[in-house]
Amino acid sequence: MKKFLSAIVIGAALVGAHAKDIKLLNVSYDPTRELYQDFNAAFIKHWKAKTGDNVTIQQSHGGSGKQARSVIDGLQADVVTLALAYDVDSIAEKSKLIPADWQKRLPHNSAPYTSTIVFLVRKGNPKGIKDWDDLVKPKVAIIPANPKTSGAARWAYLAAWGFALKKYDNDEAKAKDFVAKFYKNVPVLDSGARGATTTFIQREIGDVLVGWENEAYLALKEFGADKFEIVTPSISILAEPTVALVDRVVKKKGTEAIAKAYLEYLYSDEGQEIAGRNFYRPRSEKALEKYGDKFAKVNLFTIDEIFGGWQQATRKHFADGGVFDQIYKP
Amino acid sequence: MKKNFPLLLVAAVSAAALPAAADETSDAINSLKEQIQALDQKVRILERQRELEGEAAAAKAKEAPKVTVGNNGLVARSGDGNFTFKLNGVLQVDNRTFFNESHIKGNDGFLLRRARPIFSGTLFRDFDFLFVPDFGGSSAQIVDAYINYKYQPWLQARVGKMKVPVGLEHLQSDPVTFFSERSIVTTLVPNRDMGFQLWGDVAEGRLSYALGVFNGVGDGRSTSNSDFEDHREFAGRLFATPFKKSENKWISNLGFGLAGSWGVFSSHANGLPNGSGYATDGQQQYFAYTNGVVADGAHWRISPQAYYYAGPFGLLAEYVVSHQEVSRGGFSADLEHKGWQIAAGWVLTGEDSSFSGLTPQKPFDPRNGQWGAFQLVARYAEVDIDNDAFPLFANPAAAASGAQSWSVGLNWFLNKNVRVNTSFSRTTFDGGGAGASAPGSVTRQPEEVVFSRVQLAF
Repeated sequence: MKKFLSAIVIGAALVGAHAKDIKLLNVSYDPTRELYQDFNAAFIKHWKAKTGDNVTIQQSHGGSGKQARSVIDGLQADVVTLALAYDVDSIAEKSKLIPADWQKRLPHNSAPYTSTIVFLVRKGNPKGIKDWDDLVKPKVAIIPANPKTSGAARWAYLAAWGFALKKYDNDEAKAKDFVAKFYKNVPVLDSGARGATTTFIQREIGDVLVGWENEAYLALKEFGADKFEIVTPSISILAEPTVALVDRVVKKKGTEAIAKAYLEYLYSDEGQEIAGRNFYRPRSEKALEKYGDKFAKVNLFTIDEIFGGWQQATRKHFADGGVFDQIYKP
Repeated sequence: MKKNFPLLLVAAVSAAALPAAADETSDAINSLKEQIQALDQKVRILERQRELEGEAAAAKAKEAPKVTVGNNGLVARSGDGNFTFKLNGVLQVDNRTFFNESHIKGNDGFLLRRARPIFSGTLFRDFDFLFVPDFGGSSAQIVDAYINYKYQPWLQARVGKMKVPVGLEHLQSDPVTFFSERSIVTTLVPNRDMGFQLWGDVAEGRLSYALGVFNGVGDGRSTSNSDFEDHREFAGRLFATPFKKSENKWISNLGFGLAGSWGVFSSHANGLPNGSGYATDGQQQYFAYTNGVVADGAHWRISPQAYYYAGPFGLLAEYVVSHQEVSRGGFSADLEHKGWQIAAGWVLTGEDSSFSGLTPQKPFDPRNGQWGAFQLVARYAEVDIDNDAFPLFANPAAAASGAQSWSVGLNWFLNKNVRVNTSFSRTTFDGGGAGASAPGSVTRQPEEVVFSRVQLAF
C-alpha cells in the first residue's frame, strides 16, 4: 500500500511539472484575419519563451456587430478585438461580461492601432473617382458593406455623412440626401467588409470599394497593383478599432493573465510593427516612423467631433427605424 | 467616259458618305459594348445576390436546431449548442449455462440482463442531466437519475442517484467491460446511491477527482431511492493519467488512483451487502450473514486501482478492502473482507483498446468480407472473507470464507453498437458446502458457467 501511495504522489508531481497547454479565443471583425495570424504567431513564441506554456489561439471573424452578438449569446471569447467601441459597449451593457469602464484599461482608449476609410478603384480609375462627391453620381456603382452588421460599413457611412455635413455647412437634410444618393448607387450590400471585398474584387462588381484602408492595401498586395488603385478622399474618419478582455470568461476559464498579456502585447514594439506591416496605422512613434509614409495624408475627423460618440451615432443612424433604415431601400 | 460617269458619280457619293457610316458603326459598337457591360454587371449582381442569399440561408441553418441519428443515438441540439437532448439505450440478452451442477438446478436459461433507455442532455449550456430506467431483470427500477452543473471541467457538482466513486470496474460503463459480469471483487464496493458529489478534471484531464456525500449503502447494493437511517457516507476518488497528452502510445493510456469511502450504520440490515452476502460471477450467493446480523458501526472501504491500455492490449487491476462493524444479539465484530482482480484483453484484429471500449475498423459486413473486431479476454479475481465472521455472524458449514475465480472469453464487436460475448468462468470456494440452499448448495462444488450475451448499445 505504501508503494502504491508513493506512486500516486510521484504521478501527481509529474502532472504538476508539465508545461500548460492554454487555449485562447479571439473574437474579431472581418478583415483582421491576416493581422492576427501574424500577431498570434509572434505572441505564442513570446509567451513560450516567457513561461514555457504552449498557447493555441483560435480566431473567429465576421461582421463586428454580429461577432458582438455571438459573444453576448454565449460565445466564450477570452478577448474581443472589434471594429468599433460601440460593439464592445454592447457586450458590456447586455451581458455584463465586461465592465463598463473597459476602454480606460489600455492606452489610447483601448485602440492599439487605427485605420480610416478609403476607396479602391479599378486600374486607371475609369469612372474618375476622386472624392466622396463622385460616389453619388449616376452610373457609379459603389460597394460598401451593410452598416447594420459591419463595423467598416458604419465607419464608411459616418465618413460620407461627415463629408456631406462639411460640404453643406452642417445642413443635416442635405447630408441625409447625400447619403441616400450614396446608398442608391449600391447594387449589393454584404454583411461584412471581407464579403464586400470579395464582391468588388473577385466577383468584379461595381466601380469602387468603400472600406478599410488596411483592406484596400491588402487587396493591392494580394491581387496586384496592376489591377487596382487606392483613392484617398479629401476627408475621412479616424477609425479606432478597440480591444478588450472578456473578464467573466477569462476568470471562469483561468486565462486572465495570458489574455491580458495578449492584449498588452499589441502595444509592444513587435505588436506595433505587426500592425504597421498589416497596413494598420500604428500608435507607437517607432512603428509610425517606419510605416507612416505608406499611408496617404488625409484630413481625419473623429466620431466624437461630428457625431458626439458612438452611442449617439448609433441611436440616430443605425438603430431600427434610424436614418439608415429610412434612406436605404434595397 | 460618258458611259462610266454614273458609276463614278455613285462611287464619289459613296466615298463621301463612308466616314459618316463608320462613325455610326463605331457609335453602335460602343453602345453595344456599354449595353453588354451593363448586362454583365446585372448578371454578376444577380449571381452575387443569390450567393449572399445562399450564405445567409446557410448561416441561418447553422443557428437552427439539428437532429441527428447515428451510432451515438438520437441527438437533438439547439443552434447555439446550449440545449441538447440525447436518447441512447442498452439492451443485453444473456444466456447462462452451468456445468457440474450436481447439487443445484434451475440456473440455466436466457435472461434480459439490462434493458435501459438512456435519456441525457444539457440545459442552458452548463446543466446536464441523466435519467436511466432499467426494465431488465425481474422489476423496473431507476438506475441513474442526476443533475450535473458544469462550472468548469475542473469543478462540477452532481446531485441525485449515481455511481458511488469507489470501484474501478464498477465505474466502467456496462457495455464496455471485458466480461458480461463484473468480477466478484466489485461486490465489495457500493453500487448506486443518492447523494451530492463535487468532481472534475484538472491539469487538462491528467488528474480527476470526485468527492461526495451519500446516504450510504452496503457492499454491492444500490439505494432504493431513499435513506433507511440517519447517517451519511463519504466517498472520494483521485485518479491520475499523467501521460494523457503524450504522443507516446505506450504510456499515454496509463491510469492509476486511489478511492475510498467512510460511513456509519446504526444497527440496520440494509447496511450489509446486497442480499446480506456476496455472489459469484454466476450471481449465486457463496457467502451470507446469518439471520439477525446487522451493520452496526463504521464501514470504510479503500481501493487502489489502475489500468493500462496500449494499442490492442488492455489491463485493469484493483484491490478492495471493505471493513465493516457488524453485530448480532449483543455481540459485535470488526470484519475486514478483501479482494483483488486483474483482467486483461487483447484485440485480435488490431484495434486500439481503451477504458471506454473499442470501435471496429471494419464493421460486420460479410458481403464485403468484413467481420468486425475480436477480443480475447482473461481475468483472475479472489475475495477473502474475514475469518472473524465465523461462526457467530456466518455459518461456516454453508458460507465460504473465500472465493477464487478465473475467466476467459471472446468478445466479438460486430460494429460500434452490436457486441456478442461468450466466456467461461470457474470459481472455487474455501469452506462451506453444507445445506440444500445457497450458499451451502453453491459452495459445495466449484461453479463453472458459460456466459453468452448479445448486446445492443447506442
